[in-house]
Amino acid sequence: MAVVQGWKNWYPGRLGYVDFVFGLDNLRNDGRGCEDYRSLDLETDVVSNSSGSSRVRLANTDILVGVKAELGEPAADKPSEGRIEFFVDCSANAAPEFEGRGGEDLALAISNTLAQSYDNVSSLDKRKLCVIPGHQCWVLYVDILLLECGGNLFDAASVAVKAALFNTKIPNLDVTKNEKGEPSLELRDDPFDCMRVDVAAAPCLVTLNKIGYHHVVDATREEESCTLARLIMGVTADGNVVTLKTEKSGSLDPESVFEMMQTGKRVGISLNNTLSAKLKQEETMAPKKGKKAFLR
Amino acid sequence: MSSSSVVIPGQRICKVEEEHIAGIGTYVRNGFINSSLLGIVTFTPNKEDKQEVTVAHEREHSLVPTLGSLVTARVTNLNQRFCKCSILNVDGTNLIEPYSGIVRKEDVRATDKDKVEMYSSFRPGDIILARVLTYGDLQSFLLTTGENELGVVMATSEAGGSLVPISWNEMQCSKTGNKEYRKVARVQPRNVVINDG
Amino acid sequence: MSKDNRRLPVPSESKSPYLFVSKDKKPTVLVDENHLRSDGRKVGEIRPIYIRAGAVSQARGSAYIEMGQTKVLCAVYGPREVTRREDFSMKGQLKCELKFATFSRRYRCQHQSDNTEKDLSMVLRDTLEPAVCLDRFPRSHLDIFVTVLEDGGSALAAAITCASVAIARGGIEMYDLVIGMTVYDEPPTDNGTVTVGWLPCIEQISGLTQRGQMDISITKECLKQCVASCQKMYPVIQQTLIKAHPNKLE
Repeated sequence: MAVVQGWKNWYPGRLGYVDFVFGLDNLRNDGRGCEDYRSLDLETDVVSNSSGSSRVRLANTDILVGVKAELGEPAADKPSEGRIEFFVDCSANAAPEFEGRGGEDLALAISNTLAQSYDNVSSLDKRKLCVIPGHQCWVLYVDILLLECGGNLFDAASVAVKAALFNTKIPNLDVTKNEKGEPSLELRDDPFDCMRVDVAAAPCLVTLNKIGYHHVVDATREEESCTLARLIMGVTADGNVVTLKTEKSGSLDPESVFEMMQTGKRVGISLNNTLSAKLKQEETMAPKKGKKAFLR
Repeated sequence: MSSSSVVIPGQRICKVEEEHIAGIGTYVRNGFINSSLLGIVTFTPNKEDKQEVTVAHEREHSLVPTLGSLVTARVTNLNQRFCKCSILNVDGTNLIEPYSGIVRKEDVRATDKDKVEMYSSFRPGDIILARVLTYGDLQSFLLTTGENELGVVMATSEAGGSLVPISWNEMQCSKTGNKEYRKVARVQPRNVVINDG
Repeated sequence: MSKDNRRLPVPSESKSPYLFVSKDKKPTVLVDENHLRSDGRKVGEIRPIYIRAGAVSQARGSAYIEMGQTKVLCAVYGPREVTRREDFSMKGQLKCELKFATFSRRYRCQHQSDNTEKDLSMVLRDTLEPAVCLDRFPRSHLDIFVTVLEDGGSALAAAITCASVAIARGGIEMYDLVIGMTVYDEPPTDNGTVTVGWLPCIEQISGLTQRGQMDISITKECLKQCVASCQKMYPVIQQTLIKAHPNKLE
């Protein structure tokens, strides 16, 4: 893999190293086309102590997501809605540059992008997470742990989050009022009496990396180091874009942005559909036996 | 375009042609010379009968020491292997914020490198002239004083008087007459800017 | 998030009284039947702008911008040596810090920057980076401090424009200016916003963010609208910068 580093004298509009990444027929170094993802391994219900969890392995990228549902107070400006909060931990295991505060920026970028993509009515109906309007609601803490970095962290993280939310089981609560008229919460005895989160409209992130004249999805680390500019899109299953942002130090031609948006929408819809189908399939499969292990 | 007009970054100045070449404060894109600074554009004829297009900001241009820059620095601390200093001036331009530099023992003199002792070459507080050797390690620029014109130019003695050079490795205190060892710079007139103000 | 113990904080349970204002009273008509907005502007019309290059005397470069009620101040310092070993790079770096003044919004902001401010700072950095000649200051970084004094909408767009004027004023080499513009997509579809950082001479997009749900055809329209408005603003910024620079060489 030819990696061009330290491309110091970059001027906007200057193009290069297309030939390094793309051979003939617009194929990438690993034989994929521009809109092809690498094979993705998905597993849900992997952490026993969480309300919902998933693990995604996208080639060398390995991400573990745990969702914890806890009771908390709703946000002051949205009293009848539950909350969802994202935390990303860039473990130094994943890459040496994450040591200390090194991964902080990346972690913040991922968690903010995810929070933005879930921060609208159509992605996730947060009103269902409300218990007592203005007083009690479910808070979903979505913790994303990067175990290994092999490029395309945003997409993999969003897939893992969607899978973990699909897997999340929130215990049903009974709200009763005591003699004084104060509400009190009661947990039901049956541990399987649970509420599920509807993730049908939850978005997946699609990152489009501009390399030369091409834009590719699911870039490897090598391809990411060749990328001057990239566009991250949050796409729902019905093709709506819930978040969009550019990153890295390159500028883009408006026409190519439009093209990238088209590609992102197309890829996003098919990614969502594939993921939903697979999640449903896993749900119907018999529960796994024996110990659960990571990094296998 | 008139000979002195203000341009802003990104503004197209002229075509890259036989007679025009891009100078400081400009960049070339799609066959045009564009300004990269807010400043005044000037066309200066150079030796090969071409017009060099430059843009000058009201402040001095050079921002960061580069390889081969002549710098003025103040020695901040020293040990047996190297001395640390803060770079105050690059090629005649005062820096607003100092950069840190290092003179290693082997870069103090050009000859007899193994006989150099740091403590008899520099002392903290000395003002030295040096040249940027490399970008150095992560922290600081690597400087050299291994030229006759480079080394200590201004220093204060232990008694507090200013030191006057008396040989290539000695300076004398103007108060007490005591001699102290330094890596003395033989200051060339072209390296000195006399400031009357 | 660690708490700053040196400041005397407001009790955490205090709330703004505006939270209890009934939501029904909100003006729902943003654009009336004559295609005029509540402040009398046309749909594609930008608010009156005032820009001043050079506002903070200590800074290397600074600028102040007003777009209607939105008031933003920016100061640029450096290039400074990178002191942290992990941050070392042979390319120059931008360090952006966008801060909302505590009184700038309807609800009081905290002194310590929250996630929104950190996110906006990163967007600002990514938007400015394509425009600055980073290879001209290796091993160094440029500190860009943006303070939003009053947020009357489009604070990010104002910050982008303001920061690029401040950098240019400081004599830092740039490939182009960056002009920021935000377009709100009018309900009923869904009120999303699109913010664009536009390089007016290179004619490329240096930064693009969208919040809220939108179809890409609408995003596309918003983007085109942003670009058109940026081009309208360009002469104003050009004149401001030229006037701020003394027209003679010493």
